[in-house]
Amino acid sequence: MFKKFDDRESVSGNIQMKSSVQKAIKAKLLDQYPYIEAYISSIMPKKETLKIVKCHDHIELLANQSGELLFFRHREGRYMPTLRLIHKYPFLLPPLQVDKGAIRFILSGANIMCPGLTSPGAKLTSVPKDTPVAIMAEGKQHAVCIGLTKMSTDEMQSVNKGIGVDNLHYLNDGLWYMKAIK
Amino acid sequence: MASDVQAPLPIGPQPKVNYPMNVVYCGECTMPTEYCEYFPNYEKCKVWLEKNMPDMFAKLGVASEEGAGEGDTDEKKKRQTRGGKGQVKTKKKAMGPQKVCLSTAPRGKKKSVTVITGLRTFDIDLKVAAKFFGQRFACGSSVTGDDEIVIQGDVKDDLWDVITEKWPEIDDDLIEDLGHQKR
Ligand SMILES: [Zn+2]
Repeated sequence: MFKKFDDRESVSGNIQMKSSVQKAIKAKLLDQYPYIEAYISSIMPKKETLKIVKCHDHIELLANQSGELLFFRHREGRYMPTLRLIHKYPFLLPPLQVDKGAIRFILSGANIMCPGLTSPGAKLTSVPKDTPVAIMAEGKQHAVCIGLTKMSTDEMQSVNKGIGVDNLHYLNDGLWYMKAIK
Repeated sequence: MASDVQAPLPIGPQPKVNYPMNVVYCGECTMPTEYCEYFPNYEKCKVWLEKNMPDMFAKLGVASEEGAGEGDTDEKKKRQTRGGKGQVKTKKKAMGPQKVCLSTAPRGKKKSVTVITGLRTFDIDLKVAAKFFGQRFACGSSVTGDDEIVIQGDVKDDLWDVITEKWPEIDDDLIEDLGHQKR
């Protein structure tokens, strides 16, 4: 999603969010992310105004007052945490772990194939299809990628072929390199 | 490393961990330092690690030697081989040489403006830089191009000191004077 993204070219503008919109988004996040409640006020302090950053290809980002990017979404899809946010609050998304061999492919933007998620170095958390997940890596502490499951984890194990998780946002992509919004 | 093979992945906030967690990012490749080994310019990362995180660098030396022997046989036995390149690309610093150019240009009959280009090659945020110049020289200053800042007034001579003071990574040998440009 952000492989070709460039913050100099792909951003069309940013706007301060109205407080009513901000409330609605918070409610949505509380609904979608089960563990966020105790931390939402540190992620998005009540008094701060959030910013919406509109980008090309129907991508929208949410930034906090100091411009750090918190969430991204595509079209009207759900807001998903950026890797920088996941590194701070890893529990926001269910983790799936890939084996060591898959890391370099993910870092070059490839989707995650089932075998990389079912081999001895991998670990799964049971989730259904179309779930946003944090991709962890064997032997590493921090997430390497944010993805969306293309099949349930049960299917990944039984089918064990093809793409298991779509790679949406990974270390070193355009969103990772994007600077804080001024 | 073998100890965490059996442990399930952590779900939800963990006891004894304070959130937000503090992650150390490498000054060279920008990734969490544990991923440096995948960066094509790993040698540069190592230099950074040695300078900024000596403790971690020391551990790293030991771990990578151990890991190398173990990993090889491991990989051949258990893991399926993968096709494709899987090359990690470096996005940053793919641009030309790092250099800042200063010039002045006429503005109206009597006045001139100062043009600065090349700050972006040092990864400097131009908006912030323009604002800084404006405040420093108490004059208009704006970002006018992809890598160009125009300051109203002829402040070229002062810029050498101001730039090297504000961004110590810019050596004054890397600042070039293009003189007075005609429009
Ligand atoms: Zn590094």
